[in-house]
Amino acid sequence: MTSVLARHGFLIIIAGFFAFFSIYNPVFMTFGNQLNIVEGSSILLILALGMTLVVAMGGIDLSVGIAFDIGAAFAVVALKEYGFAWPMACLVGVVGGVLVGLLNAFLVVGLKVSPFMATLGTFFIGSSIQRVFTNGGGPISYRQMPQGYRDLAVGDVFGIPTEIVIAAVVLIVYFIFLERSIWGKRIHAIGLQRSAANVAGIRVQRYMVVAFLVASATCAIGGLIGSANIRMFTPLAGFSYLLDAIAAVFIGASMHAKGRPNVIGTLVGVLFLGMIANGLNLMGLNFNLKDALSGLILVGALAFAVGQRRLR
Amino acid sequence: MTLTQPLTRRVIDSIPIAVFVALFLYIGLNSANFLTLATWELILKQAVPVVVVAVGLATVIVAGGDDVVSGGIDLSIPATATVCAAIIADQLTNHDTAVAVALILALGAAAVVGAVNATLVVRVGMTPLLATLATSVAVVGVTKVITESRRIGVSDATILFVRDGRIVGVPVSIVMMALIALAFWHLVHRTKWGMHLQATGGSRDAAEISGIATRRLVALSFMLAAFAGWLASVFVLARGSGSSPGTEETLLLEMVLATFLGAAFSPRRVVTVWGAVLGAVLVSALTVGFISIGINVFWTGCIKGALILLVVASAAAGRSQ
Amino acid sequence: MADALLSMRAITKTFPGVKALDGVDLTVRPGEIHGLVGENGAGKSTIIKVLAGIYRADGGSVKIAGQALPDVTPTAVHAAGVRFIHQELHLVQHFTVTESVFMGQETATLAGLSRRAMRRRAEAFFRDALGSEISGDTLIRDLGIAERKLVQIARALIDGQARLVVFDEPTAPLSSSETDRLFAAIKRLKQRGIAMIYVSHYLAEITAICDRVTVLRNGQNVCVFDEVHPDSAGAMVAAMVGRDIAALFPQSDRAPGCVVLAVSGLGHERFQDVNLTVSKGEIVGIAGLIGSGREELIDVLYGLKRATSGRVVLNDTPLSLRVPADAVDNGIVLVPRDRRHDGLVLNMSVSDNVNLASLDEISTALIERRAKGAQKAREIAQRLDVRPRDPAVVARNLSGGNQQKVVLGRWLTKGATLFMLDEPTVGVDVGAKVEIYALIDRLAADGAAVLVSSSDPGELVGLCDRILVMLRGRIVAELATEGLGVDHLVAVTTGGQAA
Repeated sequence: MTSVLARHGFLIIIAGFFAFFSIYNPVFMTFGNQLNIVEGSSILLILALGMTLVVAMGGIDLSVGIAFDIGAAFAVVALKEYGFAWPMACLVGVVGGVLVGLLNAFLVVGLKVSPFMATLGTFFIGSSIQRVFTNGGGPISYRQMPQGYRDLAVGDVFGIPTEIVIAAVVLIVYFIFLERSIWGKRIHAIGLQRSAANVAGIRVQRYMVVAFLVASATCAIGGLIGSANIRMFTPLAGFSYLLDAIAAVFIGASMHAKGRPNVIGTLVGVLFLGMIANGLNLMGLNFNLKDALSGLILVGALAFAVGQRRLR
Repeated sequence: MTLTQPLTRRVIDSIPIAVFVALFLYIGLNSANFLTLATWELILKQAVPVVVVAVGLATVIVAGGDDVVSGGIDLSIPATATVCAAIIADQLTNHDTAVAVALILALGAAAVVGAVNATLVVRVGMTPLLATLATSVAVVGVTKVITESRRIGVSDATILFVRDGRIVGVPVSIVMMALIALAFWHLVHRTKWGMHLQATGGSRDAAEISGIATRRLVALSFMLAAFAGWLASVFVLARGSGSSPGTEETLLLEMVLATFLGAAFSPRRVVTVWGAVLGAVLVSALTVGFISIGINVFWTGCIKGALILLVVASAAAGRSQ
Repeated sequence: MADALLSMRAITKTFPGVKALDGVDLTVRPGEIHGLVGENGAGKSTIIKVLAGIYRADGGSVKIAGQALPDVTPTAVHAAGVRFIHQELHLVQHFTVTESVFMGQETATLAGLSRRAMRRRAEAFFRDALGSEISGDTLIRDLGIAERKLVQIARALIDGQARLVVFDEPTAPLSSSETDRLFAAIKRLKQRGIAMIYVSHYLAEITAICDRVTVLRNGQNVCVFDEVHPDSAGAMVAAMVGRDIAALFPQSDRAPGCVVLAVSGLGHERFQDVNLTVSKGEIVGIAGLIGSGREELIDVLYGLKRATSGRVVLNDTPLSLRVPADAVDNGIVLVPRDRRHDGLVLNMSVSDNVNLASLDEISTALIERRAKGAQKAREIAQRLDVRPRDPAVVARNLSGGNQQKVVLGRWLTKGATLFMLDEPTVGVDVGAKVEIYALIDRLAADGAAVLVSSSDPGELVGLCDRILVMLRGRIVAELATEGLGVDHLVAVTTGGQAA
């Protein structure tokens, strides 16, 4: 019994929650609602993929929310204050993300600070800069947002919501590069045993810098969608994704035979978290209670994910 | 044959101290009343909650090791302090419970959090970073249920005494803080038990070979940290005259900064209880100092972030020499 | 005949699929230093772990000082006076010597730890029992490695209850002068009547210090040497391996070609003014104690450390080596001295490890071709006799010798101009050593230039064409190995004699 649980454990948990939510409120099971879950998880998936890359490389990135925010800020300002065309504004947003990644890379690779401390520092500095820039934390709204940009969040491509398409593209690209390419192989080697990867002739520093840049740029893409959705840049909005992104990556890692962070596992983790949020919502609970429950479920899910790996 | 530390390493190691001295000199020269007794009383009073949570964090780090990702850390202490404050405030104001009973209820809650952390880390095998991050989210959620995301004012005599009272002319909170810090310091650094805690964090294998019950010690360190959170809740309540949502974020930042800053000042470059106390006081002094010379309050967050990085970078640089 | 202090009789231990110990006897007399030798897999570490209570024997009995131990647990064995000095130091870097010595057995009063009393006891122990002046307040990280070993020994013996001390490969990281210090301490312990078991691959040390030696092979007793002198090493090797190893080293018939590597005036914090050349088809050795700069020289030549002066020229091209990748791109490869840490990614498969440096060759448009990689790994495993042959096996599960072959195999698929090997056979059993020596010789015969850095003088004399000796940061001698005696090499290396 324990071995069955251990091998397929998390999937059983997911099935259990699915059944519970469906029974409580049959709307949960409908295609429309499931599509909502997927669409609502798009941004988190994008951020969690960036996190997966950094964790696979042996670090952690606490500044994913900052890259999200800076990406949104740069893009919205480019649109509103400088009248850029929306594709150009997107590019500017991604550049913003790259700048955040540059800071992380400089701290970790240049100054040899541990990734936790470095990205923690970026988080504090980034949060503070946002507060200063917006003079206390007020949003920058742009009601007359060009439809092209707005469509990132509300449009669709051949009938599929654009958010999902973007997330899917990022997912496929990450899967190919992290799980199937030789670049990904080197990243995993660096994450497993950096000194051995170094001696084997892998250019560790180069890969680490690129990983931080790519991860932050990816998170900036999430920021573009986020700001397009509410037609404004809200400072510090990215912070709420941080713990979920970390949780999704670790839940995903627990499903891997060797416990490595991986793209598909992260996808499952993200969908699980989306399902929980959606299911709790449909139960019509008081929003404080909802927050408490989702926090408790998160702890339980992580405990299970990590614990069942050790049983194997 | 002993190896002498190369000169460059000693220079790098003294960067944090140098920066702090420079900052304080700058503040002292530009602010008329920075060096007065009244200002320092304010600094110490402000530092109290941070000192108490920081000694809790220091205990966990001592038991788990300095490496932040794989070693010991407890990010849930501020959340514990907040939920305890909420429980006490709710009991006192909404249910008219006696102070002692309210405190005991809150202590029970803290014990639960500590036990959950201990179980996740020791039994389930989660890295402390992940485990305490997760529990802190759960605890904040539970707090919201208790407070309904609103402020609960408190006017109980005991709490007001902690806020305003004096013993032998010294504010009560400062006296209590000193006693708590002293107790933790003695426990962790001067007892046999504390030595075992340090051994566990220094090298798990070495400790186990020496017959030390490492798992039990790590579990106890999380209980102690939660206990520190409970102690801090009283001061949080007193300072805010009630329980307010969102206090844990700033407390978290200051707690981490204080504890790791303290390590930079210790001769052995490790996290210690007294280092955490010193770090908390210094951070509080910086905050008050910046306000007194009129620096935009939002910039202080930036400076604190930069300070963490400076301290950690010089520690990293010193180690790689 | 004195009654045995330790009497292990007919110990058997079976793991799934392998009989690690098959009726092994081990007898240690009071006050004697008893050597335990055997190849990897012979059962040395298993029987020690049975004694330590880490493994539970399936059969047999253990008696200490005549008292039978029905339940061999770590606590019972400790109480009976047996102490273990493991290979791993297990010390906390930021603890003081006193804190380390008393870890887990601190003395305290109600007011707190009795720091001064403990320090005095520790310093007294170092002075009287080990013949060493170490200050109790020194931090572990400020101690040299030999002193750290002494701290580890002090921790095991400070309670004065030890009757039998087991040393597991104590000198592996030590230089020969540090080994002498350790031996002096061991002899003093012997004078106190403490018996010892000495487990080591270094037969020179075994014959130098042990009174009797037990040889194991394939989980069984081969024999016990009741008299040990320096000449016994040959007979011991024969007993360990079970066949007559006339020559551990291949007969070499190579003629060196043109110069491949030319180093001039190379300098670093730990060495100065190094000039050397290695030619095609030549095996050049580097000898030197720890602290001679030998390790740092290899690191600099591979881009692991930065040179402060000098030039490195490979095939007439000056090189700038900032990271190992620079060296590898230029055809210089390294088999590092710490293979578990720097050589292999332990949690990756053999196939992944073999292909790690040549991923471009098994990919199409950046996508990894796993089947091709597995095929390459199988070929290498076949060529080098790596066991098990399965390329999907995780590297962590291989024995030391096989792991070393995997590391070598990785570079074979790449084809290198200069092979550097740092301590190529440390922790490798005799059988695998012979295979590795043959491999190295064949590498040179096939045209590579080879540089071997080693602390084993016998290995250098047997394998290399020329040996450069480093002492205190300089090359002090260049010796041709034709007709070179190992003692002469040792004398020059330790500075006792000019070349």
